[in-house]
Amino acid sequence: MKAKKVIAAALTASMVLAGAVPAMAEDGGSKITIWAWDENFNIKAANEAKEIYQKAHPDVEVEVVTMAQDDIVAKLNTSLSSQSYDGLPDVVLIEDYKIQGYLTSYPDEFEEFTDVLKAEDFAEYKTGVNVVDGKLYGVPFDSGVAATFYRKDMIEEAGYTEEDMQNLTWDKYIEIGQAVKEKCGVDMCTLDPSDIGQIRMMMQSAGVWYTDADGNVSISNNQGLKDAITTYKKLVDAGITKQVADWDQFVGAFNKGEVASVVTGCWIASSVKAAEDQNGKWGVAAFPKMSENEASVNASSIGGAAWYVLKNVGNAETAKDFVATTFGQDVDLMNQLAEDIALVSTLNAAADVPNYSKGSDFFGGQEIFNDFTQWTSEVPSVNYGMHTYALEDIMTEAVQAIVGGADMDQTLEEYQAQAEAAVMQ
Amino acid sequence: MRDKKKVNIKPWLFIVPSLVLITLFVFYPMIQAFITSLQTGMGNNLKFSGAANYKRLLTDSTFRKALFNTVLYLIVQVPIMILLALAISSMLNDKRLKCKGFFRTAIFLPCVTSLVAYSIIFKSLFATDGFVNAMLMNLHIIDAPIAWITTTGFARALIIIAITWRWTGYNMIFYLAGLQGIDDSVYEAAAIDGATGFQKFRYMTLPLLKPIILFTTINSTIGTLQLFDEPMNITSGGPANATITISQYIYNLLFKYQPNFGYAAAVSYVIVVLIVILSFIQMKVGDDKE
Amino acid sequence: MSKKSKVLRTLEYVILSILSIVSIFPFFWMIIAATNKSVDVSKGTLLPGTYFMENLRTLLDSDLNYLGAFKNSLVIAVLTTAIAMVVSSAAGYAFQIYKSKGRDVVFNFILLSMMVPFAALMVPLFRLFTKFRNIPVLKFVALDTPGSVIIIAVATAFLIFFFRQNTKTFPKELVEAARIDGLGEFGIFTRIFMPTMKSTYAAAVVVTFMSSWNNYLWPLIALQSGGKRTLPLIISAMGSSYTPDYGMMMTAVVIATIPTALIFFLMQKQFVAGMTGSVKG
Repeated sequence: MKAKKVIAAALTASMVLAGAVPAMAEDGGSKITIWAWDENFNIKAANEAKEIYQKAHPDVEVEVVTMAQDDIVAKLNTSLSSQSYDGLPDVVLIEDYKIQGYLTSYPDEFEEFTDVLKAEDFAEYKTGVNVVDGKLYGVPFDSGVAATFYRKDMIEEAGYTEEDMQNLTWDKYIEIGQAVKEKCGVDMCTLDPSDIGQIRMMMQSAGVWYTDADGNVSISNNQGLKDAITTYKKLVDAGITKQVADWDQFVGAFNKGEVASVVTGCWIASSVKAAEDQNGKWGVAAFPKMSENEASVNASSIGGAAWYVLKNVGNAETAKDFVATTFGQDVDLMNQLAEDIALVSTLNAAADVPNYSKGSDFFGGQEIFNDFTQWTSEVPSVNYGMHTYALEDIMTEAVQAIVGGADMDQTLEEYQAQAEAAVMQ
Repeated sequence: MRDKKKVNIKPWLFIVPSLVLITLFVFYPMIQAFITSLQTGMGNNLKFSGAANYKRLLTDSTFRKALFNTVLYLIVQVPIMILLALAISSMLNDKRLKCKGFFRTAIFLPCVTSLVAYSIIFKSLFATDGFVNAMLMNLHIIDAPIAWITTTGFARALIIIAITWRWTGYNMIFYLAGLQGIDDSVYEAAAIDGATGFQKFRYMTLPLLKPIILFTTINSTIGTLQLFDEPMNITSGGPANATITISQYIYNLLFKYQPNFGYAAAVSYVIVVLIVILSFIQMKVGDDKE
Repeated sequence: MSKKSKVLRTLEYVILSILSIVSIFPFFWMIIAATNKSVDVSKGTLLPGTYFMENLRTLLDSDLNYLGAFKNSLVIAVLTTAIAMVVSSAAGYAFQIYKSKGRDVVFNFILLSMMVPFAALMVPLFRLFTKFRNIPVLKFVALDTPGSVIIIAVATAFLIFFFRQNTKTFPKELVEAARIDGLGEFGIFTRIFMPTMKSTYAAAVVVTFMSSWNNYLWPLIALQSGGKRTLPLIISAMGSSYTPDYGMMMTAVVIATIPTALIFFLMQKQFVAGMTGSVKG
């Protein structure tokens, strides 16, 4: 009978708890809600913006909610497709790869900023995705500018210098990697066969994407993509990569000193810095370009997001004012965020803030922010279109096939057809 | 029975609450989903398009892959798990076994272990330089490390290992609960007749547990056909969609890609049809003539 | 007494021990990880650390309101389990005990409801719930209330099916005997069936609590305000960081595992208790 008592007690307790949950007060017009997904990054940014905004507007209540990015996507799609706005946020952070899909599917749901902000005030490649018919639909936030983080000590041991890392090409990178493997016995970088972010970065460095400027699937006739796959295959064939299967192993590999470099978005800097025992050993160089592709430059991007205001949720006016005055133009906030969350802003005016010219001890005194900002301004602008993830899943198969020895042209021809079918609505 | 009338209405009073809830929260949305499956379009701008989504299934190679994987998992994994769970529960049901409570709890733990934790640990155990490869090499079972997560066949095997690991203990508790319904005196009589352990299992436990075995088989079939967690978290459907399941594909169509509600609903109905057919067969095979 | 040879018995222990170790290992790792710093977790340490209190503090100080989510999860799981035990077991019992016309048709119809992947039902279900908001009597199951999550989980084909299958092992003579004793139909269910089927209920409680506790997709859609969220949603929010704090996350999941493990502990006695005397006699 003990079980019965336990159950009875649990029931009573839960009834009490349920009753004790206070009903949410119905608010007037002065509350806005913000959704973002990283407690250590964009959530902190939203909270700092909130603080600044509330100094000027003490009557506005701001609620910042952390939610997984996938969950945000699921909720937005469910609610917007049902045209039900209860519980949706006024401000939401959306990834650059995803926004085109929203703007196309739900054209009347997003507030435009053209009357208060100018697209030219942000890094060119960032507004490439959220300007539609000349109207700016969001405020660009973080730069996903790509960089080559590398272990100076290992490169030197292999007989190369920091000089060699400047104006880097993938061919040179592979050459250095082979020397590192030979001399230090560690791999040059990690490779996750299920994640072809490397190819995405290479493509963008040449100004192309899986889709062309009009959003049509462009695979079989895409020289930039072909060059990227060729480069990727060279990297794999060189035998200088360590295979990983997820984020945790990816981070673990460089934290443990098992790889000599990491080529990805600048946002990885804070994970690199987490390994305090490697203090001073790291350097940062620009993204390697593809020597076989004329258009390819030493700059690319991966990830990154922008703030959007949902028009029909409730307080669009306040929300718009909030985003525009903080993330849209507040240079001091960008300065502070560089310090607090290592944000590389895509607001052009942020380039001159004092914190950007501070050297980073971990990176041997290198002014990494200035470098990141410089590279951000050089990133070629591409239209990500609506189907990046769908196409990426298909292209992962194609790339695996080609790396495994299949004929490139023939394979891409096949996958062009498959990809076209997959993006049908 | 004199009060036959009363007995005839009462049963439905037991059933009506469930029936109302299930109709409202499952069948109504099911019909809606079917209607959606006949539509194409973007966002909330959908148009009727007949069987277009169903036709598209026929030429969709990702769907074919997902279907193949799902059926493969089903055929290989469900029998292994059911047999394992049965064997464990009959071992644990032995009155003379010591440390029963410990074994029972330990074997049940996988299904309460957080998915986040267990996918991280599985990936690290089965990494190319991970513990499992090291052990297999020490035992000279393999010469070179296996790339579990990134080779098609091994990645599929890994998914099967992972589901079996997670759900065997869960199925075990249904059998343990069912075994309590079997009177000890039946076993004692058999022991006197000189029945061996295996004979007792084969001729007494199995027939008496039949209803529960049928239940767990159907339930595991459904669970496997709707499998989502493991491929999503352990292999992300990779390498190159080699481990993707139908449920994961539905999720991708709804949320990862540009949402396509109509096509996702059509894919869902394929699962429904599959499950209905399989459950029907299992019921026919498993149902005893009462 | 036992016919089992010593060899067989030893083999049994060896097998069970190996299975137990394999089963426990990830659980053990999870606890170890909760006591370590994030960077050490990434490096793959297997030694207990001293960072647990620090991780706990980070967790409780975070804006995510972990304790609130724990409470929300508990309310939902306890109420769901309690109501489901009555509603679903009544149906499962009735399907087996009473032979009336159309019984099997209705039962198969209910079974059909298990077969649709939930992701497919989500959007239509959400649209249905948005209509409840304006109906006063349905306020308690409106979106963004615990009720909206509970109501869809109390009558499940899974449980009804489970109870029906177990009722097959329930001796019908007991029902006949009770009727002769003058007990009403509901009395038979609550006073004879329920106590007799303790181990069935125990298993059902464990799995119902567990699935409610881990339920993800529907709470994600139904619960809207930040403060109403359940544990799985909060934990998922932690994992989506570019720089996840694995130490804190593992602390969060270890604590989140306690209630289900505890329920299993409390209920597992019922698995060995066997049927009550009334059956044997």
